[in-house]
Parts: sequence; C-alpha cells; structure tokens
Amino acid sequence: MSPKEQAAKQVTQATAGQPAAPGLRVVRAGPVSFRMRRRVTGLVLGALALALAMGAWSLTLGSYPLSLPEVYQVLTGAGSGAARFIILDLRLPRVLVALAVGAMLAMAGAIFQGIVRNPLVAPDIIGVNSGAAVAAVLWIVMKRPAGYVPAAAFAGALLAAAVIYALTWRGRISGSRLILVGIGVNAVLTAATTFLLTRAEIHDASRAMLWMTGSVYASDWSDVRVLAASLAVLAPVGAVLMWSLKVLQLGDVTAQSLGMRVERTRLALIVAGCALSGIAVSIAGPIGFVALMSPHFARMLAGPMSGGVFVLTGLVGGLLVLGSDLIGQHALGVSMPAGVITSALGAPYFLYLLYRTQVRV
Amino acid sequence: MSRLLADRVTLAYGRGPAVVESLSVSVPDGVVTSIIGPNGCGKSTLLRALARLIAPASGTVILDGEAIHRLPTKEVARRLGLLPQHPSAPDVIAVEDLVRRGRYPHRSLLQPMSAQDHAAVERALELAGVAHLRERAVDELSGGQRQRVWIAMALAQETPILLLDEPTTYLDLAHQQEILRLIRRLARQEGRTVVAVLHDVNAAAWVSDHVIAMRDGTIVAQGPPGEVLQPRTLQQVYGVECDVVECASSGIPWCVARGRSLWRMLELAAETGENGGERGDGSLPEDGPAGRRSRPGAPRDALQARGLSAGYDGRTVLRDVSAAFPAGKVSAIVGPNACGKSTLLRALAGLLPAEGEVWLNGRPLHAFRPRALARELGILAQEAPVPPGMLVEDLVACGRYPHQRWYRQWTPEDQRAVERALEVTGTAELRWRPVEALSGGQRQRVRLAMALAQSTPVLLLDEPTTFLDLAHQIEVLELVRELNETEGKTVVMVLHDLCQASFYADHLVVMKEGRVVAEGPPGSVMTEEMVREVFGMRCSVFPDPLTGTPLVVPQGGDAASPAPAGAAPAAQAETIHGETARASRPPVLRG
Repeated sequence: MSPKEQAAKQVTQATAGQPAAPGLRVVRAGPVSFRMRRRVTGLVLGALALALAMGAWSLTLGSYPLSLPEVYQVLTGAGSGAARFIILDLRLPRVLVALAVGAMLAMAGAIFQGIVRNPLVAPDIIGVNSGAAVAAVLWIVMKRPAGYVPAAAFAGALLAAAVIYALTWRGRISGSRLILVGIGVNAVLTAATTFLLTRAEIHDASRAMLWMTGSVYASDWSDVRVLAASLAVLAPVGAVLMWSLKVLQLGDVTAQSLGMRVERTRLALIVAGCALSGIAVSIAGPIGFVALMSPHFARMLAGPMSGGVFVLTGLVGGLLVLGSDLIGQHALGVSMPAGVITSALGAPYFLYLLYRTQVRV
Repeated sequence: MSRLLADRVTLAYGRGPAVVESLSVSVPDGVVTSIIGPNGCGKSTLLRALARLIAPASGTVILDGEAIHRLPTKEVARRLGLLPQHPSAPDVIAVEDLVRRGRYPHRSLLQPMSAQDHAAVERALELAGVAHLRERAVDELSGGQRQRVWIAMALAQETPILLLDEPTTYLDLAHQQEILRLIRRLARQEGRTVVAVLHDVNAAAWVSDHVIAMRDGTIVAQGPPGEVLQPRTLQQVYGVECDVVECASSGIPWCVARGRSLWRMLELAAETGENGGERGDGSLPEDGPAGRRSRPGAPRDALQARGLSAGYDGRTVLRDVSAAFPAGKVSAIVGPNACGKSTLLRALAGLLPAEGEVWLNGRPLHAFRPRALARELGILAQEAPVPPGMLVEDLVACGRYPHQRWYRQWTPEDQRAVERALEVTGTAELRWRPVEALSGGQRQRVRLAMALAQSTPVLLLDEPTTFLDLAHQIEVLELVRELNETEGKTVVMVLHDLCQASFYADHLVVMKEGRVVAEGPPGSVMTEEMVREVFGMRCSVFPDPLTGTPLVVPQGGDAASPAPAGAAPAAQAETIHGETARASRPPVLRG
C-alpha cells in the first residue's frame, strides 16, 4: 500500500452493532478494501523490527568489530573509509541477500504447500531446486565463467519446473500427482548432480559442493539488485494470489463453483513459486529447509495462510537465513555456510513435523 | 435374562467428558433392537462399548453372565460380531476372500479352512445375497452391495449376537430396504440377536422389535416401536415436532416431522378457504398442497438442461437429459444411488464438461463469464476439503469470492452477506471455531452458509441433509423453504428421502440410470408404480392427512423370502391400499 493510501485509509470496526470480530480490522480506501487480523499486523511489524535489529547487529560483527554508532554513521553517509568499505561493500550486501533469499524461499514454500494442500512440500522436495543445482554444477564442471552460474541455475530451475508441470498435467493439475512427479524428477536430477560431481576435477567439485550447500558468502550489490527487483514484483503478486489460494484450497470443484478459473490461477501460483525459488537459489544456492519450515512457523504464530501471513512467512524466512548465517559465521569456531545451519536445524524440525502429523492422523 | 447387557457404564474418549454416564441397558435376545437418537447422543459409543471396542471408565458390559473384559478376544468374537461404521477394505480384495476373514476367530494359525469354515462362508454369502458377486473385487461394487458384503463377513463369524453401526447410511432407499430386510430375517428366521444403530427413525420402526431412544448419553425411552414412536417421545429425543401416521396397509408407525413451514402453509390454505389436507375422495391433489399454489401465472424456467450428456473418465453417467427447473420454486432431484443425480447437478452448475446445453435465465451457461455465473448460481457440492486451522468465518467468507476483486476484498456488502448467512444457518456462535473441530452436522450447516454468502438467486444443493440428524435435516429444509418464500430463491436439491422431497419441493425430477424418467409436482409424480419401477421397492403412497403431500412408506413384506409373521404379504397389501380400503381404514393421525 502506498503512503498516500495509507494516509487515506480509514480503519473501521467490523460492523456497527455486531460484536466486533476478535482482532479483525477492515481497511478501506476508495475502491481498495481488505481485512487484516491485528495479530498478523502486529507480528509483521515485530518481525520487521527484529529483522532490522538483527541486520544492524550483524553489521557490527566480524574480524573488524564496529560499534552501532559507527554503523549508523556509515549508513547515513559518514564514517571512515575503512568502515565504509567493510560495511557497504562486504557486510551490508551479505545481510540484504540473506534476508531476501530467505524471504523468497519461504514465500515459495508457502505457495507450494498451498497448491498441493500438503504441509510437507517445498520447492527443494519437488525438484525445482535440484534443477537449479544440476545446471549450476554442469556450468561449473564445464568451466564456464563463474559470473553466469546464477543465470544457469535459474534456467535449470525453470526447466525442471516446466518438466514437472508437463508430466503432472492430465487435463488438470492434481496436487498429489504434482508431489509424486516432483519427487521422481528430484531423484533423477539429484542422481545427475552426483554423477557430475564424481566425474569432475577435485577443484571444480569442491566449488560445486560449496554452491550446493547454499551460502550468502561473497554477495555483492548486483545480487542485491536482482533480488530486490524480483522481490518487489513477486512478493505483492504472491500476497494477492494468497487471496485466491485460500479458495483454491477448498478443492477444485468449490473454487470453480465460486467463479475461479482454476487452472489459470494454479498456473499463476506455480509460476510465482518457481520464480521466487529459482531466483533465490540461483543467487545463494539451494539453502535447505527454509522453504519448508518458514510457512509452518508463520502459521503457528499467526493462524491460517492469508496475504498478511504470507508476508510474515517471508520475514520469518529472511530471519532464519540471516540468523543461520550469523551462527555459521561467528558462533562456531570455523565459518560455515548458512545452508549447513538451516539443514542442521531443519532436518530435526522436519522429523518432528512428520511425527506430529502422524499422531494427528 | 438377556445375554448382553450394560451395567451402569460410563463411557468417555480419552480424558474427554463422559459421553454416556452410568447407563444400564439390556439387549433382548433373538430380536432386532435399534438405537436411535440425534448426532452425538452416544448411540455409537454405546454400541462400541457393547462390542468391547472401548472400555467403560466405570461399570461393566456383561456377555452371558460374565464381564466382557474378562473374556478372551477370540471368545468374544465367536459370540458377537460387529459391523463398524466405515469399514475399509484393502485394495482389490475379492468378495469371497473378504467374507472368509470373518472366520478368523474360529481358526488357529496355519490351519487350513475346515469344512465348517467353508460352509459358514457359503451360508453367509447366501444369506446376504452376495453369492453371485463372490469373484468380484469389493471396491468395484455399489455402496449397497459393498455394505452387504461387509454384513456377510460379520455373518460368516456365525455369532449369535450381531452389532451393526449405521448399516444403512449412504445407501439409497431400495438398498436400505434390502439391508433392513436382511436384518429382520436374521432375527426372525435365525433367531439371532441384532443391535443396530440407526439414523432414520422410520427405518428403526420398520425393522426392529425393540427401540432404544437416546439423548445426551441417557435413554429417553425404550420399548416396542409403537410405544417409542410417539410424538412426545420424538420431541424429547430430537427436539422436533412430529406426527406419527400409521400406514394403512402394514400398520407400521411412520414418523413425519413437522417444520415451521407447515403452519405457514396451512394458514395460507385457510385464507384461500381450502382444506390443506386430502380431498374428500382421498386422492392426491395433483398440483401440490393448497398453501403453495398461491403464486399466479405459469412459472418461468430458471434452469434448463437440453440434451445433456456427461460422465467421468469416459464413463457416461448422464444420457441425453432434458429437464427444466422453474424459477422461484424448490425442485428436488430424486433417484437411486448412482443414477446421475449429483452429476446432473454438477453439469447444471457448469462444473463438468458436458455435451448438450444448460440454459440459465434464458442464456446458455457458456455465455457467462465464470465470475458472473458464480454471482447468479451457487452450488453446495458434496464433500470438500478444508485446510487445517481455517475458521468458520473464513470459510463462509470464501463464498464472497465472486463478488470480490484482488484489491477489493472486503466491502460492507460482503460483511452483511456473511453475517446473514451465519445467522440464518444458526452458525453464528460457531464463527470463530476451526472448521475441523466441528461435528458433521455443524460442518454441513457451515458449508451451506458459505453457499448462502454467495448471494445467488439460484442455489443448487447436493444432498444437503446427509450427515444430519432429524432435527438438523428439518432445520436445513425449513431454511431452504424460507429462502425460497422470502427471497424468491430458486432451489434445486438432490434429496434421499422421498417424503421430505415430496413435502419440501414444488417440483420433482426423478432419475434412473442417467435419464429423467418423471418430472412434475410431487402429487402427480410420486406414485407407487413410480417408486417400484425406479427404486425397485414396493411401498405404499398415500397423502399425508395434514398436508396432502405424498407419504412414501415401504411395505412390510419381504419379496425375497416368505413373509415374516405379522406383515401382510406384498400383493395383499397393495389391494388393501386401494381406494376402497382407504375409506374403511384411513391412516391414523396421532399427535
């Protein structure tokens, strides 16, 4: 919402006379109107503040410690030359990339979990990320210019998504079929990646391994620009699509009877999900489990998925990757890529989730 | 003394509140006992305790004078068989193999089937009437056949006591009747003790010798059906006003629930100076009850199907169906299971690719844009998944989707429609609860609320009364009538119950094997011949003495075997029910 609209917004109670919905606010401005839960708004603002704080803190950490006032000076345009170099060229891009990549992966996870109505699905499980990995490893092993690894990875993700979509399509896209096809494609692509790695020279193989673990190490401003631009487009699109996804989750028949063009909406969701995931993976590599975990965290905090919870999911994902990167960089004796930390946290969580789901069924 | 009884049992699930508290009941031997009551009254819980599936928190279930918990599992299984509510079979198991599993309690490990086992399986297949299906896979059978196979498995157990949990749900009239007849045969010819939890009061009265009526975990009344099926008792049990009509030919009491709309109808009829009930000659008023005939002019058709054919995966379900549904009226589609009722409804809503055309308000359906169509026509389809954690209000608000835009997600109009939908369906107090936490009946009302929030002039309802007990069935049907009478909504619904369809609908469409076989006002469509031909069931059709709408009461006779004592043979019953017989022995109205 633009600042102008924000100024014009009127916050009204749900209805006059009726007991107000607990925590539901209706926001209306001209033709624009939507409902938000106060709890979600609060959580989004809280997560935003936490992200700012964590980002600022991580700018002070490193082999050349800086104080918060120094960081503030640099960000407002002052500060010493050394401090400016360390913050603006080294630390700030890394923080922003971590936040953006985490957000995009998490949003992709929310979209895929919604489409297939299965809480155990994420782009890294149904093969989209493996597509990116195969292409990136192939690119590295073939000794092509390193600067184009992201482009190759993105192409790989798109190709994998297209193959999965084509194999799933039988007049319509069925959620469970999408999972099975995705897992199959994932297996094939993982095998291909392993094959490439065993045939590669040791130097290439270790570079490829590092990429595949997922890391925000050595991020620069060009990465930030790509991520910022895609996030600016895809996050609002995703948030708006959540409004349709809620109806789509009631099943194709119900969605169709409510006047939705089901296949078109689903295609839009899949494209948005693949783009979010593909772009994030192309820049930071497949950081594991963020896409799977974040939507669950957000839903546990804020309730069922909606536009607002979608934004919260993104913030949770960003915080997860940023936090993992902080731990990986500073908390352990040796420096670890963020992907290792997220997986080390993610796998136990995944098992817990499976355990809980089984208990409930 | 009876073989099976419960002595002051208290039953609860986990640490939840007690469903049944300190209840004592004894099951009479050698007859059919049915347990009836509203949803959540504890009837299935009681049955499961009798079957030793749940252990009472206190009190004892006693089988043959011994506490059932002291008996070994196999020993219990040799004396007592159970048909659970939703049995599930492994994929592609043949009928005979499934029935053989019933012999499990009589066999020991690695022992081949004995001659006795084979004989028991044969007898069970014969008795349940599924011997000709023995080679078939269970999952390709119809619902009625499948249910009979499950009963056969319980029969193969050769137990003197049989417990059946809702053996007739999901079955159509003829299949229900078939199962009920089988149950009765088991008691009358084989002397077995049968206990059945039944949803339908009339089925209970028809089949049983002893009825136990429960409410809120206690027994409200028990005794022979004629004693229990009294308006006062039914009012206590279901909270619904009922009349009990005695079928002239069989003497079986038949409960007819009376909703609010009846009194409105009678008032209207009184104003027009007509007796709302049957005419002097006892024939059915062909153009519907007097109170509903007040709207002048020939009705326009809101929905028309023209040469409609449709199906799933290459299997044709609808064959060249043409039917019209008058605007501003309530229409009901009736027919046996798998006759294409739901398919027709879906095709009318444009949810299925179909050959032929559907016209809505004089325009072909395909000329509507999807959202515009969804503002004209809403459908409550059967079963839909609901994501975990979704609140009732969220779900109902989804009904507003066709009125919204991505930037305009909540207008005052949306708010009003949702409030109203929640209010009229009586779900307002459930509003902030998660849908998954609701009972089946509540969920059905919430889904109806969602369809109402869509605010469409035409509303299609696919079996809106399934999962509901009598009180809620009447509630939903009354609501449908009210929406029709106050807002002029056109309603088309698929209904199971022929008496309800006859009373609540102005227009009936009867389907069989994918075709429409009859269409028109209930009074002229609902005849004994029609029911026999379409449903394959012998029944008596006579006008409700109060409203004049047809009542459809299955005959007591058993076509497949010699008639049990007490029930008139089918052929005789028909002649008794001729016009002359009516005059001498009109239906008795109590209430």
